Amino acid sequence: MKTRTVELVASPREPHFVGDGFRVHNFIPSSYGMDMQRMSPFLMLDYNSTYAFPPSNKPKGVGVHPHKGFETVTIAYKGKVAHHDSSGGGGVIGEGDIQWMTAAKGILHKEYHDKEWSKTGGDFQMVQLWVNLPAKDKKSDPKYQAIKNEDVPVHTLPEGAGSVEVIAGDYKGTTGAASTFTPVHLFNAKLHKGGTAEFQFPENYNTALLVLEGSIVVNGKEKTPTDHLALMANDGENFNIEATEDALVLVLSGEPINEPIAAQGPFVMNTRAELIEAFNDFNIGKFGYLED
Amino acid sequence: MNSPKLIKYLSSNLKINEEEILLLANDYPIKKVVKDEFLLRANEFSKYTYFIEKGLLRQYSIDSKGKEHTISFAPENWFVSDRESIYFNASSAYYIQALEDSEIVMIDEDFIKNLSIKIPAFTEFNNKLLHNHIRHLQNRIHMLLSSNAEERYLEFVAMYPDILLRVPQTMVASYLGITPESLSRVRKELARKNFRS
Repeated sequence: MKTRTVELVASPREPHFVGDGFRVHNFIPSSYGMDMQRMSPFLMLDYNSTYAFPPSNKPKGVGVHPHKGFETVTIAYKGKVAHHDSSGGGGVIGEGDIQWMTAAKGILHKEYHDKEWSKTGGDFQMVQLWVNLPAKDKKSDPKYQAIKNEDVPVHTLPEGAGSVEVIAGDYKGTTGAASTFTPVHLFNAKLHKGGTAEFQFPENYNTALLVLEGSIVVNGKEKTPTDHLALMANDGENFNIEATEDALVLVLSGEPINEPIAAQGPFVMNTRAELIEAFNDFNIGKFGYLED
Repeated sequence: MNSPKLIKYLSSNLKINEEEILLLANDYPIKKVVKDEFLLRANEFSKYTYFIEKGLLRQYSIDSKGKEHTISFAPENWFVSDRESIYFNASSAYYIQALEDSEIVMIDEDFIKNLSIKIPAFTEFNNKLLHNHIRHLQNRIHMLLSSNAEERYLEFVAMYPDILLRVPQTMVASYLGITPESLSRVRKELARKNFRS
């Protein structure tokens, strides 16, 4: 088995606000060559590093907007997010919970800080990941997988090193909570200081590690501090991480979808013509209606 | 000039190679403006036509009651200007403001004159642009006088397919000359007719 090496360690870019409720560093697709094809099936990774929102009677967030052609995965680490959509669905993503939304043929939704949480405010830390769908699934029906923290399967690491929460995919025989359209592995590795974990993914799977807490060393040499992302090269299968202090690491790895990508705003299709159709469908109400 | 979109636009419409236009365009650097920054304010005098390489501008006025009226949106590959100020030396009635971080080419009269002199096909093309612009303004007056909110909305999204996702709905309503509530009603009604779950 060949070792998969670190291609680069990306520092967080200047944050920007999405709506008024999400202060994010974008890693995919805008930084260090991590474009949509390079990172496929991952189209976008926005990271809201820990940020203290002051109390607010009016919940902050993002108003009604559409998505089409892919899935959005929201992982709440600190804080709570409420969401509503045009099919009448809605709920609250609490701390440790994951919402895996398949937008597919199209949905309208809005995301805000939970009303009660908003009143007190506090530390907010969140990841939103967009996962592409292959052409054959882009027109499937929208759906949600609302995954509570207690329902995420946990693999306990030997020697008290920590644990790996398996959101999707498979880690050493522990199968993830979410179903995916193409092979995707998504884990939260929680390591105690000095703890190590090993990972193995096929060489062609695009792979990255986002360090949310603490710091790690990859393959015994590449230091990756808090809020940094290690992009792994596609030159091997195995790698390991060691926590140099208590650490929380989001591990993502997925089989590339080798299809053309036509992306603009909230739509990700295969061709320019499909994109134009998506804008038109949205404009004339084919996505339905949702009150702001 | 590092303005690939304007060079490409002129080159493809005038059917001449990009190098020839580059020679004329060298003195026109791209100006970067951040979201909310003004390129023109009411009562100022304007010398420039703005070409949008990247981002989005809005031209609007504010009436005596403080209400905004949007004259136009200008996304990538569009021109926007206050002709009354540029060509008739009047102080401007309008604001031109960036709605997103944008990259703008500031085109002045010299650039237009140079193009006309050095590239004969430009004058004819520029006339066509002017006629097209006047046609658009005629249509806009006609729609504002004679059409209902839904007709105005459908005309708007046909011309500006992605603007609804880039600006607040209050701005779209102020372009259409309707209230934000009317715009919501129109969109709700269209969804009722067209949504198939």
